[in-house]
Amino acid sequence: MSRTALTLTATVAATVVAATTFSMLTATTSPAGRPSGVQVTANPQQLSLVGLPCFPARLDLTMTNTQPDSRYADLTLTPTGPLQLSREVFSSYLPATDPDQPVSAPVEVRVPRDAQPGQYRIDLEADGTKVSVPVQVEPLPPKTPGSNVALGEQATASSTHGNFAVCGAVDGDKDSEHWDTLTGWNDGTRAVFPDTYDVALATSTTINRVELYTLDSAKYPAASNGLRDWDVQVRSGINDWRTVAEVRGNTLGHVTSTFAPVAADAVRILALAGNGNTYSRIVELEVYGG
Amino acid sequence: MKTSELLGSTRRGFLTVTGAAAALALTGSLPEIERADAGATGRPDRRDPFTLGVASGDPLPDAVVIWTRLAPEPLAPFGGMDRRPVQVQWQVAEDEHFRRVVRHGTTQARPEASHSVHVDVRGLRPWRHYWYRFRVAGHYSPAGRTRTAPAYDASVPVMTMAFASCQAWWEGWYTAYADLARREHDVVFFLGDYIYEFGIDRGVRPHSNEDYVTRETVTLDEYRNRYASYKVDPDLQAAHASAPWVVTQDDHEVVNNWADEAHPSAPPAQFLVRRANAFRAYWEHMPLRLAQLPKGPDMQLYRRIRYGRLAEFSVLDTRQYRSDQAYGDGSKPPGPESLDPARTLTGDAQERWLLDGWTASRARWNVLAQQNALAQLDVKDGPEILVPMDTWDGYAASRARVLGGAYRRKVRNLVSIGGDLHRSVASDLKLDFADPDSPTVGSEFVGTSITSGLDGMDNDAGGLTLLRENPHIKFGNFQRGYVSCTITPRQWISDYRVVDRVTVPNGTVSTRAKLLVEDGRPGIQTV
Repeated sequence: MSRTALTLTATVAATVVAATTFSMLTATTSPAGRPSGVQVTANPQQLSLVGLPCFPARLDLTMTNTQPDSRYADLTLTPTGPLQLSREVFSSYLPATDPDQPVSAPVEVRVPRDAQPGQYRIDLEADGTKVSVPVQVEPLPPKTPGSNVALGEQATASSTHGNFAVCGAVDGDKDSEHWDTLTGWNDGTRAVFPDTYDVALATSTTINRVELYTLDSAKYPAASNGLRDWDVQVRSGINDWRTVAEVRGNTLGHVTSTFAPVAADAVRILALAGNGNTYSRIVELEVYGG
Repeated sequence: MKTSELLGSTRRGFLTVTGAAAALALTGSLPEIERADAGATGRPDRRDPFTLGVASGDPLPDAVVIWTRLAPEPLAPFGGMDRRPVQVQWQVAEDEHFRRVVRHGTTQARPEASHSVHVDVRGLRPWRHYWYRFRVAGHYSPAGRTRTAPAYDASVPVMTMAFASCQAWWEGWYTAYADLARREHDVVFFLGDYIYEFGIDRGVRPHSNEDYVTRETVTLDEYRNRYASYKVDPDLQAAHASAPWVVTQDDHEVVNNWADEAHPSAPPAQFLVRRANAFRAYWEHMPLRLAQLPKGPDMQLYRRIRYGRLAEFSVLDTRQYRSDQAYGDGSKPPGPESLDPARTLTGDAQERWLLDGWTASRARWNVLAQQNALAQLDVKDGPEILVPMDTWDGYAASRARVLGGAYRRKVRNLVSIGGDLHRSVASDLKLDFADPDSPTVGSEFVGTSITSGLDGMDNDAGGLTLLRENPHIKFGNFQRGYVSCTITPRQWISDYRVVDRVTVPNGTVSTRAKLLVEDGRPGIQTV
């Protein structure tokens, strides 16, 4: 499958301001007849995603206080169908300022691999204001020879630094200049090695090549911040991890390891040392067969 | 900081407390005229709502705040409650079996305050034990034990007090709290880092890598969830139920090393929203009065607690009004920036309040309940001096005004209690730390962490350096634990209770050192 097939998220930057509703159903927080004082927006306005375990779609929620008094508000999120959310509520203090001060928080949306493709939605509500975000669940893209079989698959790690996401190194973004936007993996134990970063493949797959992108940006060159020494390991069936390639003394941002074709259920990077002896950093890990 | 300036002078309105939350906290002020009808508006519910325990706090001679929060599913959104207010009955009795109930009433747990209940129970008698409990829809909460303060003019022959700080949940079991609870102190001070805001993905306790633990807390729902994840601990609940607590914050109740409106994570306007979220969740989960209810990003946390003529505790807030850390934080040599008299740890108003309070004090022991160490901490071996920029060392002029102010006012028996360092440090407080011959103004007991920093050891390299480089430091230890104090008009005894291991359940707690301060003789002595 191609990477573009997975870049489904509509990145419409415009925000939607929902019409204020006057609902009896929300009388607890919004007595009937009182206009809601909270504007709710979601960005993007709609989402597309596929049933890959490490490929969530991200939605940014924003509440804005439009009334003269500062207040607290709760925004609830109700998904339909197979949608799984990283949060079902977003509560915040909303200052009354001039100009308005919007307050935002992210939510990650996932669906299981076996989710029925189709149209679903996430209903948002804060103080009587309702917004609905359409979510299109697309069929899983077919795996074709030459696809990166690690893309969006379940990643696990020995540890992950609090500012990073474990899925960051299988998200299809290998640009080191995006490092500070959760697009890579950084372990959580400074100056302690080894670290491990594993990707479980969807099914047993014959592979012969791993491409590893370690941190290598203008500000953080690989020679001082990237991964230096690592083993590429594979696991098959009930067997233990087996080393299929070794990299030592690396100073580059992109390293390709090729090896004899092997059937693998999972691939591991066993990180042994980093340049600068601080953290293990992987921007993207790609796995190919044939 | 002047928040109103920060938010713009053309803002449309004053920061206001939601009316419902104000009403919630006020309902307890006149319990004797409340009706005791049940009248629950919620549906019948078989789930136990008291999963977060009970607490009491801020004792006065005639009053104490009692607290609980209804959360049948503590880690679910809204604690598993629907968005309706619920009637909660409460009782205060003179005996643990509730045969002699002296105060009772009904209050509302409201959704906008996370269904927390803060009843300011008035009309109690001074310096006596009470037991309290709550009831909702047929469920009784566990009973808590509390004690009012003595009358302001009372001579108090003895009081017991414990203080604690820094309870990183994932780094250990709260064995120290089980010990603290067994000793049934008259009052417990908590000096900061009740929660940690950052995300972690591993720890020594089960469930240390659950999703809700890995997320950094920024929004109000996230801070609420973090408090709930800590407060489900049975030893922490036992410690709260054993005595009234007087709490203050350090940095991690909001975010690491924040200073006033400054934190590198966000511009001030955005950071103040986070601060407001953190403060709100803090108040909702602590046994605090309405006077401490935050108004957006502002909270009146510094306050005075008096125990008759024996002791007066000035509880400080050294985060909300401080100048930004000098030299970009970290440990640095003292320099013009850290010594700058224009910089402050307390803010001018709090400093004035503190010094004026001392001028008026008639207490035998005048206690500073604050977050870190007043004593200088040279952390570097050899002639070079490196001191932490986040403690009073980074605000040397602020410290000089406080210690100098105490010295000039001849404050009787100044004792500072602190935390934050994750180590026990007992020091003489010098008028001038650079001169060992300068007068000793007071005594300081910094308590170690409850769990933060894992097991530790008797003394690590850093602790040995502190003892070598700082002659005013009389004791140091790098294990986990808390400090249990016995205070009489003649002497103050600090019992450093330490745990052999916190990374396993059922560690053993023992006394590592008993240190003494005598009336009229400032400085640390060994018993």
